[in-house]
Amino acid sequence: MMNKTSMIALVLLLISGVYPFFVDSAWLAIGTTFLVFSCVAFSQDIILGRAGVFHMGHAMFFGLGAYTTAIMNVQFGLPILASWAPAVLIPMFVAFVLAGPIIHLRGDYLLVATIGFNIIFIQVLENDVFGLTGGPNGIFGIDVVRLFGFEFASQTYMYYMAFILLGITLFIMRTLDRSKFGRAMFYINKDEIAAQSMGVSVRYYKLYAFIIGAGIAGAAGSMFSVQYSAVSPEAFDVTQSIMFFTIVLVGGSASLPGVLIGTFIMFVLPEVFREFETARYLVFGLAMILTMILRPRGIWPVRFGNIPNFLKKDVK
Amino acid sequence: MSEYILEIKNVTKMFHGLVAINDLSMKVKKGQIYGIIGPNGAGKTTLFNCITGIYTPEMGQILWKGKEIKGTTPYKIAELGILRTFQTIRLFAEMSVAENIMSGRHIKSKQKWYNGVIPTPAYFKDEKEQWMKVGELMEFFNLSQYATTPAGDLSYGVQRRIEMARALAAEPELLILDEPAAGLNEHETQELTDTIRKIQAMGVTIMMIEHDMEMVMSLSEYITVINFGAKISEGLPSFVQDDPVVVEAYIGSDEEDEHE
Repeated sequence: MMNKTSMIALVLLLISGVYPFFVDSAWLAIGTTFLVFSCVAFSQDIILGRAGVFHMGHAMFFGLGAYTTAIMNVQFGLPILASWAPAVLIPMFVAFVLAGPIIHLRGDYLLVATIGFNIIFIQVLENDVFGLTGGPNGIFGIDVVRLFGFEFASQTYMYYMAFILLGITLFIMRTLDRSKFGRAMFYINKDEIAAQSMGVSVRYYKLYAFIIGAGIAGAAGSMFSVQYSAVSPEAFDVTQSIMFFTIVLVGGSASLPGVLIGTFIMFVLPEVFREFETARYLVFGLAMILTMILRPRGIWPVRFGNIPNFLKKDVK
Repeated sequence: MSEYILEIKNVTKMFHGLVAINDLSMKVKKGQIYGIIGPNGAGKTTLFNCITGIYTPEMGQILWKGKEIKGTTPYKIAELGILRTFQTIRLFAEMSVAENIMSGRHIKSKQKWYNGVIPTPAYFKDEKEQWMKVGELMEFFNLSQYATTPAGDLSYGVQRRIEMARALAAEPELLILDEPAAGLNEHETQELTDTIRKIQAMGVTIMMIEHDMEMVMSLSEYITVINFGAKISEGLPSFVQDDPVVVEAYIGSDEEDEHE
């Protein structure tokens, strides 16, 4: 017997699996971007929702992945496939180096520091450092994925690649939640002193969250750059970081369905109301305000108690 | 190595020039139940915070099995086998009872750094082992029925049990209890007394701050009395109980009646 949540998950999986065959190219692109943004939102959720670190510079890691692929492909003529590993590893390394000195900062102070990193990142991109980033216009003409002479050029291929990436991301989230690493992040988030007294190194697990989160965001960034075959700085600025931050809080911190709902509301709904021009951002703003007033823990809050069945035998 | 598992030598802890602990020394034997009593604000909890690394004392030594541990970070203290409970209960309130106790298994878990992302057969085995241990502890502390309940939703007495179960899950050598009977009714206090004896029988050394005199006198093998951050008396419960200095500290010198 399946519970309600797994039923919903299965239906969603089926719908998203056949989605490309029922929509036009504009909606297909929206679908792909939704999948990519979901990955980024999940990676933000590892840092914000799980480890409880107020990180508002996540678009930087997303951008690092995107620019890694763009630079390797356009400036150095390497195939997209060759850029996948660096697009994950470089953001991870940068996360390690940058988060190290600020990880001990308290919530609000750390938030300001991460915004600072994001702003510097945009400055670096716009000033065309080493002549690699293409300045304010960014980089155009990114190739498609090629494997054994085959071109994965169509938007449908793009969609399914993003689909697989989201699958991998969800697998990682699930593994994390059921390991000592994910639990340690929750313990730190809920009570740092108690967590330390149980032998949890606050620094280690916050950094762990940062590095894993940056890696996933980098992978999504790489995918994003190939989808649009171009990258430019404004897609990775602080406003974008605020959006990822908000998606997690509106949807529900540390809640897998919550983050998907958050991504849908914050990203897909504004697309639906595109004909209303800039007024569509009313949805964006109103969703944020109403959720925080009515459901401060998010639209679909996380539920704890995910423990093996043999421990539930005495539960009434 | 001496017969003492924990030695506190001339420890002084100050806050902005105010002395919270003044030149305090004590020695805890392995397997002992060691009681610490004293009026409110005497510095008892501060002492525990110094031992567990939350504070670093300005002067003196804290020796764990003969090795200096002063200034060691709290999580490393836990790894050494010193676990504690808190005077004001500090559970992970939104998380289930089982998950709370699982935090005690953190230092015993052998999962590798990549297991947070990639599961391996060894990881599954380890995960199962740790949950089994949590199951045993829930049975020992009579908590199995609350396995999935958020810890914050339960009564005070139950929360105290969860906190002890969590500390014990880490298989400590020294268990530090900060007012374990506070807020408990008579029946719960009796249960707690039995539980502490059982924990001692497992070979765990116990240090305890407690205001319930009946309980602390019956359990402790040795007692130190602190007032204004300094030791004013120490010895066997029977001695401490009748020490005029102690009686004065608790009741005040003008009082006639010395017995409660």
